[in-house]
Amino acid sequence: MTSNNKDKQTIVEYIQNWSRKHSLFVMAYGTGCGAIEIPATMTSRYDAERFGIRGAATPRQADVLLITGYLATKTLKRVIRVYEQMQDPKYVIGFGSCTINGGMYYDSYNTINALDRYIPVDVYINGCMPRPEAVISGFVQLQKQIAEGTANNAAKYKENLEWYRANQKKIIKNWRMPDYNW
Amino acid sequence: MEKENKILEAIKVAFNVEGHIAREKRVMITANKDIVSSILLFCKNQQGYIHLNHMSVVDRIEDGKFELNYIIWSPTEKVTIMLKTFIDRENAEMENIDSIWDQANTYEREMREMYGIQFPGLIGRQDFALEDWDEMPPMRRDFDTHAYAEKTFYQRPGREDAKDVREELTKQSGEVIPDFAKKYSRE
Ligand code: SF4
Repeated sequence: MTSNNKDKQTIVEYIQNWSRKHSLFVMAYGTGCGAIEIPATMTSRYDAERFGIRGAATPRQADVLLITGYLATKTLKRVIRVYEQMQDPKYVIGFGSCTINGGMYYDSYNTINALDRYIPVDVYINGCMPRPEAVISGFVQLQKQIAEGTANNAAKYKENLEWYRANQKKIIKNWRMPDYNW
Repeated sequence: MEKENKILEAIKVAFNVEGHIAREKRVMITANKDIVSSILLFCKNQQGYIHLNHMSVVDRIEDGKFELNYIIWSPTEKVTIMLKTFIDRENAEMENIDSIWDQANTYEREMREMYGIQFPGLIGRQDFALEDWDEMPPMRRDFDTHAYAEKTFYQRPGREDAKDVREELTKQSGEVIPDFAKKYSRE
């Protein structure tokens, strides 16, 4: 996952990325209102499993973390823990306008406004809330990034951990979290 | 209205309080904060109003008061009593009634967190829904949630030209927003 260019990929990386993009296990964790679109996306009408998208019960088995809408400051703490427990490769999809700029909760005392200040986001899907077509197109976008080898935000998170930590600690005042040595 | 009259009279005779019948199956009573728990106990033990429906707070900032509402219900009479009381907004304090109904504990913890009303003797964690909150209780009307969000959370540029939906709509329809409602508009 080091090269950023499709042409520069070695054959091994190419195969790796090809198989990764066809088996996206989504962490079954919903925040905000958007989680209600996930059942619709997964079930027979839209059938996301055609794309290899399916649920995973625990963070350690999941590849994709979907943040499905507004994120309360209390939930942010849990989301960070979930994200840090996930194994590489891992991707984050921000779902709905609440994750982008706060959406209709932009002035709420209790929800964060821009998700990518706290965890790195690979794909944003806009809409309030996005319909299953939009969700699937977001996943297709992610698959494209994976195939090109550009979806390496997890590495960026490790590199810029201090910046992310500072932002996170600004919100989570009472920081009692384990440190992971990925 | 027989049942309603009966309970209203019973409470009036016993406690000398104000009250009226709002409509069928609904009796409203306004009482001093000191006798609220006595009225609730009286209704529960002697009149069969054994069910606590709800407890809620209204922030009457203009009068410097909190309005507390206790809604109780009788499964035999099928009448709802709404018991209202006012307490001072400054150092707000109210009697703890979780010895009458256990579930009042949850409501009281929420009131304590969201409005800063103290209930002496209330047992339970200080945190209810929020975590590590050290500002003014957020549901008080003098808490400026927009200013708080602006100083706490990162504001992504691009929202500045967002229009007030109500103002835009009234511009189209020619409707006039009354002054008291304008206060909650964006500017
Ligand atoms: S973007 Fe809309 S649908 Fe999604 S969480 Fe926010 S308010 Fe709810």
